[in-house]
Amino acid sequence: MRAIVRGIGWGAAGFALGALAATAAGWAAGRPPRAEVLVTLGYVAGLTGWLLGVGLWDAWARGWFGLPVRHEPDHTWRRYFRFTTDHKVIGVQYLVTFVVLFVLAGAMALVMRVELAAPGPTVMSAGAYTHLMSLHGIIMIAVAVATILGGFGNYLVPLMIGAEDMAFPRLNALSYWLVPPVAVLLVATPLAGGFDTGWTAYPPLSEVNASGQVLFNLAVITFGLSSILGGINFLATIVGLRAPGMTWRRLPIFVWAVFAASLISVTATQYLAAGLLMVLLDREAGMAFFAAARGGMPLLYQHIFWFYSHPAVYIMILPAFGLALEVLTHFSRKPLYAYPWVVGGFLGIVGLSFVVWAHHLYTSGMRESLLGPFMATTELISIPTGLVFLAALGTLWMGRLWLRTPMLFALGFLFNFLIGGVTGIFNADVPTDLHLQDTYFVVGHFHYTIVGGMIFALFAGLYYWFPKITGRMYDERLGRVHFWWMFLAYNATFLPMFWAGVHGMNRRIADYPAPLAGVNLWISAMAVVLGASVVVFLWNAVASWIRGPQAAANPWGARTLEWQVPSPPPEGNFPHPPRVVGDPYAYGVPGAAHAVVAAAGGAGEGGG
Amino acid sequence: MAAHVAAHPRYRRLDLRRLGLWLFLLSEGFLFSALIAARYYLLGLQRPEGLNQPLGLAITVVLLASSLTAYRAETAIAGGDRPLFLRNTLATVALGLLFLAGVGVEWAQAFAHFPPTRPVGTVFFTLTGMHALHVLSGVVLLAGVYLHGRRGRYGPGAFWPVEGAVKYWHFVDVVWVFIYPTLYLVTA
Amino acid sequence: MTRHAGWVVLLWVVLTALGLVGAARVDLLPVAAAREARIIDDAFRFLMLLAVPVFTFVLAVLLYAVAAFRARREPPEDGPPLWGRSAVPWVWLAVTSALAVYVIVNPGLRGLAELRSDRHADLVVRVEGSRWVWRFVYPESGVTSRELVLPVGRRVRFDVTGVDVVHSFWVPAFRVKVDAVPGMTTSVYVTPTRTGDQAGDVNFRVQCAELCGLGHHLMAAPVRVVDPGAFEAWVAGGRSP
Ligand code: HEA
Ligand code: HEA
Ligand code: CUA
Ligand SMILES: [Cu+2]
Repeated sequence: MRAIVRGIGWGAAGFALGALAATAAGWAAGRPPRAEVLVTLGYVAGLTGWLLGVGLWDAWARGWFGLPVRHEPDHTWRRYFRFTTDHKVIGVQYLVTFVVLFVLAGAMALVMRVELAAPGPTVMSAGAYTHLMSLHGIIMIAVAVATILGGFGNYLVPLMIGAEDMAFPRLNALSYWLVPPVAVLLVATPLAGGFDTGWTAYPPLSEVNASGQVLFNLAVITFGLSSILGGINFLATIVGLRAPGMTWRRLPIFVWAVFAASLISVTATQYLAAGLLMVLLDREAGMAFFAAARGGMPLLYQHIFWFYSHPAVYIMILPAFGLALEVLTHFSRKPLYAYPWVVGGFLGIVGLSFVVWAHHLYTSGMRESLLGPFMATTELISIPTGLVFLAALGTLWMGRLWLRTPMLFALGFLFNFLIGGVTGIFNADVPTDLHLQDTYFVVGHFHYTIVGGMIFALFAGLYYWFPKITGRMYDERLGRVHFWWMFLAYNATFLPMFWAGVHGMNRRIADYPAPLAGVNLWISAMAVVLGASVVVFLWNAVASWIRGPQAAANPWGARTLEWQVPSPPPEGNFPHPPRVVGDPYAYGVPGAAHAVVAAAGGAGEGGG
Repeated sequence: MAAHVAAHPRYRRLDLRRLGLWLFLLSEGFLFSALIAARYYLLGLQRPEGLNQPLGLAITVVLLASSLTAYRAETAIAGGDRPLFLRNTLATVALGLLFLAGVGVEWAQAFAHFPPTRPVGTVFFTLTGMHALHVLSGVVLLAGVYLHGRRGRYGPGAFWPVEGAVKYWHFVDVVWVFIYPTLYLVTA
Repeated sequence: MTRHAGWVVLLWVVLTALGLVGAARVDLLPVAAAREARIIDDAFRFLMLLAVPVFTFVLAVLLYAVAAFRARREPPEDGPPLWGRSAVPWVWLAVTSALAVYVIVNPGLRGLAELRSDRHADLVVRVEGSRWVWRFVYPESGVTSRELVLPVGRRVRFDVTGVDVVHSFWVPAFRVKVDAVPGMTTSVYVTPTRTGDQAGDVNFRVQCAELCGLGHHLMAAPVRVVDPGAFEAWVAGGRSP
């Protein structure tokens, strides 16, 4: 806690310094700077102050000045509130932070649904709705990008590859501690008038609206930085820190998924930062990137934005694919079917994801000659994605399906994501998208891919690794209740959105024509039921964490490395580097082993 | 780091750092590619009128020369020749500052020809400004390396900060090799 | 093995039949009042026809696996090690690739070509979106209106632009949509095929379909498709404001 207080103090001081310097410079140049410029420059200095204060100075920056770095080992709960470099602590920090944000933005969605339950204003103004909707969108996007990748990625990748930590532990802590300012800024946007652009922040609107937009842009650029640094860390870790014998062919599929997603984070994210920076430059320095009145081109933003934000949906879903396949394999008691094909599919998705962005621009007025090519590339993505389904079905086939809660969520993931993916084809088809663009059909599509896909996979992972992370077992009965409740309510909420969209319900509106009242009321009612299912999870998680039964090291009998160490794993993970000797998924192969993990006492066989 | 880090060649710290740096540079490359793409989107093949061509060429030469001195600094420390290393690091810093001064002059002149509030100025000032920011951070890094170097912090086999700063410097240089023709040369 | 596969195929056929019947019974699409709407609806129905069997295939395998291969408690032994080194992945790849390519061509490229096939216009309407109203200008007659009135059966070209921020011109009953972007003019062609107005069906409306600020939801304008005679009369009445 002391670290956080100091971070806040240094951050405030930095902000004041930055703003003062900007004012001084402005006066010197004869032009007092506008408040938004002050906030922007103050924020840059304030963010630096925050990072240094929260731990960067002690743990790292002192070294640049020839001073000894300080870090006191900490084994109490306080380490979760400090600049801790242990990847497992950071993983938990990510998980808890983003689950909290998920619940917060989910609660916002419920308020939105109350407003939408009937046409006309019900509980808030249309303006308030727009702000709330925009906030829900961007927070959930952050949740989708970072929860599995930042949470499980950090916790599990070093364990699964037999390393003792990430390649750059301090950089890793830095990536995490960039997140709180993002959350604070976003939640603070209403104080500065909010932002009414949705999560996409299209100019010129984002250049002429309230100052909340500036906070939004700063927050999202910061988030992008965190995502880039995290990606670099994952790639370096996976390339450089694999245990002896952990060849690329033996890499657990979740690690491959993190690898693929990180390739995207490291590269495409810069476009998001660049686009939002350009908006700030237009706004605060009067530049002319997108401001049509000054000769700029609004469409340029859309190209830059989607050059990131399309690949970003695969940053969200690739780790989810990896996670779901991991769970499906271990609970089917069979090797992951067609493993090399899945890896090829992941990499194919990464490659294709860079050349499909304009499918968000079919109706934007971009050059007509681009429609056909982008439709083609977009629909080709179903081929590598299909390979994931091939692997899933092949793994289930003839398996010994153990239907525990993680498995249920993984199966639910397959069902939901399939609907999301297939409706993606309707969007990708230019003729149908001319109608569907900006309707609830699209809202349905992406809640099916993200909520039905990524969030279901997240829950699969939360249940699957709960015993590993907490050392305690969750309540299986409550887990099942949660699954069935959520699965049914989820489909009841989002399936009718496709119908509403086709029938003229457009997105991002607080009000709609009267004939759409029935379907909206139904959606709203089901959304509340859906929200309540999450309470079951929260209860289960908190109660089991506090007083669940002690969990064994490997309650699932799974073969990958994280299960061959105690629950929770000790600091440093492995007393000696494990030696990887075989496939991680060789179920049903007599005598096969994945790795030799020397236990504290002596050598023991892993897996089997 | 625990014992087994040293035991396996895979775990060598240097390789990881180098890899991390390359990944960072790859990422930065995407940032500049976004800005360069924006330039072509907004202006097509139109060339900004009124650029100071001799100055542009001059600062390009200065920056290229600084890569050479940076390279010599790195090889010098690798070979254990500290005075040569220090001299070349200092020269690199000086050339970097010279480049920045040139950009400053160019900015003052460009302001008159195309204000930043029109697309041409927008593109010019953003591209050169973002690049200058990177040059500036490179100068700071190299200056830090110089100061530590004077205190004898590096020697053969232990000069990662030098290598890192120099790699970064080369990268900044290569980016300019793309920006220079994009702004000064390309024309319909 | 073959016995299992047989059941899956049976399940697939049954589910597909159910799905197709279901899709045919739900009222999938709202009123279609333009030539473009027919092309787009055809594409939509055709995609539905393809989507159902893809969906039900995965579902059939999934459901069957859960039903037939489930274990009551922790399975005492592992399943057979199938690695997928057979021809199955190749077949899967071939089939999905063929499907994907087919969908690109039909209804994708074919529908696109059809939509773009007729580039003549009997009538031009300039559409201006500003926060938060639509304005329709009929340049040939000089009429300006807040209501979009169109003659049935005539080919119309809309020249769309945004005054302040990006808006989007969308008439659900026509199915087409194009953004109203400041600094550029975008076009879309429509041939209304059926008379009607917003009072009769809410899908006869111009709906702004791009978030344009706090009043975005207000930005709808009525559409009235009338007989050519009535249209001439309307134009004549509107010429002198
Ligand atoms: C995790 C997130 C995620 C994922 C994975 C996807 C996946 C896909 N998306 Fe989606 N999409 C979003 C999140 C996601 N999307 C979001 C958030 C938006 C809205 C943004 C906004 O405007 O706010 C959006 C919007 C969006 C649009 C723009 C709609 C519009 O605004 O007009 C389009 C258009 O092409 C599209 C297409 C696709 C396609 C083709 C896929 C494909 O990847 C799907 C591929 C999968 C399958 C097809 C199923 C499995 C395959 C098989 C079983 C093989 C056999 C099948 C065939 C051969 C068809 N998406
Ligand atoms: C991870 C991504 C994600 C997730 C999980 C969700 C979850 C939900 N979303 Fe969201 N949504 C988006 C991403 C996501 N959404 C995005 C990107 C947009 C686009 C924004 C834009 O257009 O710019 C969007 C837009 C969007 C819209 C369209 C708004 C509009 O266009 O006007 C709607 C409308 O129904 C909606 C509804 C819901 C609902 C009902 C849920 C439900 O699943 C929520 C379930 C509920 C909970 C999880 C809450 C549980 C909490 C409680 C019950 C409170 C308990 C309290 C305490 C313990 C203190 N969302
Ligand atoms: Cu105009 Cu929305
Ligand atoms: Cu996309």
